[in-house]
Amino acid sequence: MRALIFVEHSNGVVSENAFEMLLLAKSIGAECHGLICTGDAGAAQALGTQLTGFDAVSAVADPTVGHYNPEAVLIALKAAVETQAPDVVMTSYSTAGVDLAAGLAVRSERPMLGYVTDLELNSGGLSATSQVYGGKLTAKTDLPLPAVTTVMPGARKAGSLSGAAPAVTMLKPDLSGARTRVREIITPDNSSGVNLGNADMIFCVGRALGGTEKLPLAEALAAALKAELAGSRPVIDAGWLPKIRQVGKSGTKVKPKLYLMAGVSGAPEHLEGMESSELIIAINSDEQAPIFRKAHYGTACDMFQLIPALTERLNSGNS
Amino acid sequence: MHIAVILRLNPVLTDELELTEGGKDIDREWIGFELNPMDDQALEQSVLLKEAHGAKVTAIAAEAEGGERLLRTALARGVDDVLLISNKKDDDAPPPSSRARTPLLVEAIKQVKPDLVITGILSTDDLYGELAPQLAACLNWPQASAVSDVRLDGMVLTVRQEYAGGMAALIEMDLPAVIGLQTAASPPRYVAGSKLRDLLNTKVPEMEASAEFAEDLSEATTLNLPDTSGGAEMIEGDAKSVAARIHEILMERGLV
Amino acid sequence: MGGTTTPVLWVVTLLAFAISGWRFWLLFRPLLSARPAHRTDRLGERLRGVIGDIGLHRRLLRFTYSGVLHALIFSGFLVLFTAIIEAFGSGLFPGFSLHVIGGDTWIALLQNIFSILIIVGLVMAAYQRFVVKPLRFQGSNQYDATVIYVLVLAIVLTMLLEAAARMAILAEPSPWRPLSSLGMYLLVGLNITGDRAIVAEHVFYWAHIAAILGFLIYIPGSKHRHMFTAAPNIFFRPLTPKGQLPPPQQTEESAPEIVTEYRDFTWKDLLDTLSCTECGRCQSVCPAYAGGKPLSPKKLIMNLRDGMLTDQGLLDSPDHAMPIVGGVIAPETLWSCTTCRACMEVCPVHIEHVPKIVKLRRSMIEQGTIEPLLQSTLTNFQSQGNSFGKPPKQRARWTKDLSYKIKDARKEPVDILWFVGDFASFDERAQKLTVQVGELLALAGVDVGILYDGERNSGNDIRRVGDEGLFELLATHNIEQLRDCQFNRIMTTDPHSLNALKSEYPAFGAKYEVVHYSQLFLELIKEGKLKVEPSAGATVTYHDPCYLGRYNGGFDAPRELIETMGHTLKEMPRNRENSFCCGAGGGRIFMEDNPTGERPSENRIHEALGLGGVSYFVVSCPKDVVMYTAAIQAVGAEDKIAVRDLAELISESVVVPTEVATHDNA
Ligand SMILES: Cc1cc2nc3c(=O)[nH]c(=O)nc-3n(C[C@H](O)[C@H](O)[C@H](O)COP(=O)(O)OP(=O)(O)OC[C@H]3O[C@@H](n4cnc5c(N)ncnc54)[C@H](O)[C@@H]3O)c2cc1C
Ligand code: SF4
Ligand code: SF4
Repeated sequence: MRALIFVEHSNGVVSENAFEMLLLAKSIGAECHGLICTGDAGAAQALGTQLTGFDAVSAVADPTVGHYNPEAVLIALKAAVETQAPDVVMTSYSTAGVDLAAGLAVRSERPMLGYVTDLELNSGGLSATSQVYGGKLTAKTDLPLPAVTTVMPGARKAGSLSGAAPAVTMLKPDLSGARTRVREIITPDNSSGVNLGNADMIFCVGRALGGTEKLPLAEALAAALKAELAGSRPVIDAGWLPKIRQVGKSGTKVKPKLYLMAGVSGAPEHLEGMESSELIIAINSDEQAPIFRKAHYGTACDMFQLIPALTERLNSGNS
Repeated sequence: MHIAVILRLNPVLTDELELTEGGKDIDREWIGFELNPMDDQALEQSVLLKEAHGAKVTAIAAEAEGGERLLRTALARGVDDVLLISNKKDDDAPPPSSRARTPLLVEAIKQVKPDLVITGILSTDDLYGELAPQLAACLNWPQASAVSDVRLDGMVLTVRQEYAGGMAALIEMDLPAVIGLQTAASPPRYVAGSKLRDLLNTKVPEMEASAEFAEDLSEATTLNLPDTSGGAEMIEGDAKSVAARIHEILMERGLV
Repeated sequence: MGGTTTPVLWVVTLLAFAISGWRFWLLFRPLLSARPAHRTDRLGERLRGVIGDIGLHRRLLRFTYSGVLHALIFSGFLVLFTAIIEAFGSGLFPGFSLHVIGGDTWIALLQNIFSILIIVGLVMAAYQRFVVKPLRFQGSNQYDATVIYVLVLAIVLTMLLEAAARMAILAEPSPWRPLSSLGMYLLVGLNITGDRAIVAEHVFYWAHIAAILGFLIYIPGSKHRHMFTAAPNIFFRPLTPKGQLPPPQQTEESAPEIVTEYRDFTWKDLLDTLSCTECGRCQSVCPAYAGGKPLSPKKLIMNLRDGMLTDQGLLDSPDHAMPIVGGVIAPETLWSCTTCRACMEVCPVHIEHVPKIVKLRRSMIEQGTIEPLLQSTLTNFQSQGNSFGKPPKQRARWTKDLSYKIKDARKEPVDILWFVGDFASFDERAQKLTVQVGELLALAGVDVGILYDGERNSGNDIRRVGDEGLFELLATHNIEQLRDCQFNRIMTTDPHSLNALKSEYPAFGAKYEVVHYSQLFLELIKEGKLKVEPSAGATVTYHDPCYLGRYNGGFDAPRELIETMGHTLKEMPRNRENSFCCGAGGGRIFMEDNPTGERPSENRIHEALGLGGVSYFVVSCPKDVVMYTAAIQAVGAEDKIAVRDLAELISESVVVPTEVATHDNA
């Protein structure tokens, strides 16, 4: 069994997801190959040294993929798949993963399975567990090989494997045909001084907030807790809170000591950003909400009653 | 400039889901269907592009049931043309996945000949591959998913692709291309009932696709209701008592 | 009179009339370019309304103090008109006099008596406005009111003094003019007699003329123009059923009426704005205003009027016109209305607030500028036919809890077709009551059926939200479903559905006999089909739902039912036509409810608590169950009062015959 893992990185650091996928692939006894796409050979070497535990690493060093370029990287990945003939290709469930996995599956005529949370060996192939319908259901699939998968972040708890990093083999696919060019990299505007990533306490509100009218309620609780106020994506999309306060896949990943959340359903994209929090307390009036499967404590109490009640409690208890 | 926007119907997920016997599909008996929210964004973005650049927009759907209504709504929202791919799947089988539908949609796109295809980045049931990258692969066009801003300048397209940690990039692509849209530049608009009423009897053009549904892994998949044990410890009671309990938990952990 | 008086009087009178006429013309000019409204049918009924509301002060007297003072001034003015005729007649046409018909005798006496009444009325008015200061005057033009008081007082006093001076010439009092005679003694006491009195008479005469002409010139710009506009405004009032909103006007050439500018209103809409007396009665009964929302029906009408009058472009340049929504009236103002109709019911000059609000809402809907929560609810209606966004298939899910299988009225004939409605079908709390109603119907042996997944929201509230097209889609769907059913009557527990079926659907050519469940159950009990044993009896109060009571006159059946069940009904101060809306109507329940003050429903609960010793707050509308349960929680009165639906009261008292324990409805 051979797995090819597409390794994502930013600012010269390999993403944790690569190691989560490594552990998942190791758990089915696979020989793990990593693929790095980056702008020059030096960067490829530097990233390669971080890939301890991998059995082999290949890299494409080309200015076209100096920053992630959906089309050029797909060409590179397909080339790697052709030379290495892995049984299973793994990408993370990320922007790149969404771009690459399904495209590769069609181009290489392999079956594809998304939102994978677990893989097991079974007779003749793999048995995969994945999430569907926004995390409301799980699916079990007999995965015939060779196949392509996207793996949910957090499928395994990342931790590095001991051992040396393998030497990096360079691949030189022809990327000249790409019709896609990266023009500008945008980093989040951090001028407001908000840094959810370092916060110890976070209070996150979801779509159920309903509008800026109720924001003072949430702000009062955040103040009483001395917590940073955060929001799920709909809250940011609607402009109720600035983008810098978004938690989740396309927002910030956080690991506070306390993650209190109200009116957030617990979609996988949100969970991805906060599930490693030390203590998760969820307020959601729907007892079936997926968030209760991740939270440590939960309550189905109406948030608009509980938030003021809790604020009052904290303020009187703190004084 | 001609834009094709692909629309899909999705089960409404606010209710509790139940499974059919054998777990091959969700029980659709009591479930409602709605325009996939991400496709809704795609629809809005297409119409915004039309308004900004005078593009022509064609909405395409491949639904066995409810497709006509869906496309009439799209007309009311401002698209110029619609096309329904008639769906010969037998009634009892679960609706085909994005992967299964891809060849039919590709055939329709080849017929419509757009310069740009926009669809939602994902739909909650496309377990076997998201639509946009598959369409791009079949058509051999460039593609980008997780797009939140689309700008057109002649035959050059610039999109904003979103990444983890609030990072993003402006990416330029040659047309024709495919976009998996995440968020439109402004929220989907409301169309007054009068527009829907006026379109009530509009004929929705249909095409019979010669392509077959693609193979996916649905035969090999069984659905399960997630194991809810081991979830959160639930705190019961009215707001006051819940607040008191939460306060207690926070104190125990020295968080307040 | 004579000498220079006549020509001078002619000149000033004509001048005053010209100025006043010009001012009136400026006001009424916009009506000419407005849309048509057909208000000339049923002339007798129209005239009777004018007599009732002006002659008899029917509506005015609902506010007793104000009604009485208005009656005093109003009747005084009628009588004083004779004095005005005398003054001008004699001045303009030397030799003219009312003497021949008693101008110096009984008419003079009447003038004296009514002068007193006017003065009493003015004092009462001034006392109310400057001392009592009722809240409803907030935002009205105080200065204008003061000017009018002064002018009226001046007219009366100069009239009295002119006569007094005339008598003082010879120091001869007249028994027909007791008040003026008193004045005469005063003048004589001041040594104003003989020639000096002749001068005084002239001075008072001209002062009187000046006051009257001043009044005439002043009045077009004053709210007191209602002296002229009230009667036509009442005459041209709508006579269509209260529950029927005017549909957008559509002629072959023109697009459907969307009101964005003043010329899109009908002339009656504009006349309304010119007739408003700024009395604030509407404001004082408005639930939105009471709840601190940015809506006062009075200010709405006043602002529309002021906007119209400053909109210079209205006539002179067809390209320029002031946008109403956003320009004159804020969207939040329009969204705040619950369409409860309390304002229209109380307005003494029959101004139509609700149709104007809905017309303006229609323009917002057409332009897609609506608030986010309402947008998602309306999208639910569009895709699923109900506000809950649940698939139609789930509509009849509540029937699972019934002890029998209720008929599908689309498949077999029934006597009573039960139009269940959204809340009764989907809301968990209301569902329980729906099941109770179903059981009671079975117990009474009623041959009843429902439309199952064929039913859609009746569209009542959607029409009021302003989405006319969506309303039509829903209404035509329901009408098509009903067309294929055989039934005698339609029953519903939901007043909103009742209103649509009864008052709105006939405009689509669909006429049904529609009854509220309160009426049906009362019948069943009276006919002995449902046996009840009056319970021990609690003291209860009852809330009239707007769309049952004010809109459709369903006041008595619920009350009779309550009493039949053995309870004692203690009325809240605001009851029947004066009932206070729960705040859910007109689509408000679908919108963001950011508390700005006491919610109307909470206000109402406080009203009930104020009665003392009332244990149940009885309702007869599924939305009310939801609204008031929440309100009682919000004010923390769970231990004092509880919401009870009529169906619960009946269920508690109904006698279940043992042999029918397993009832078979087939
Ligand atoms: C590529 C991609 C990236 C994404 N990135 C992110 C991301 O970074 N962050 C993110 O958050 N999402 C992200 N999403 C979106 C994600 O899929 C969900 O749509 C989103 O997280 C849902 O937000 P929510 O939980 O606030 O809203 P909803 O799912 O609408 O949940 C609202 C919840 O509030 C509850 N509720 C309602 N009323 C009350 C009340 N009175 N009291 C208590 N509870 C109440 C409801 O039961 C419901 O569970 C992403 C999606 C995609 C496709
Ligand atoms: S209908 Fe009711 S809510 Fe609307 S303005 Fe009149 S009184 Fe106020
Ligand atoms: S609209 Fe009617 S009730 Fe309201 S202030 Fe004017 S006259 Fe009075």
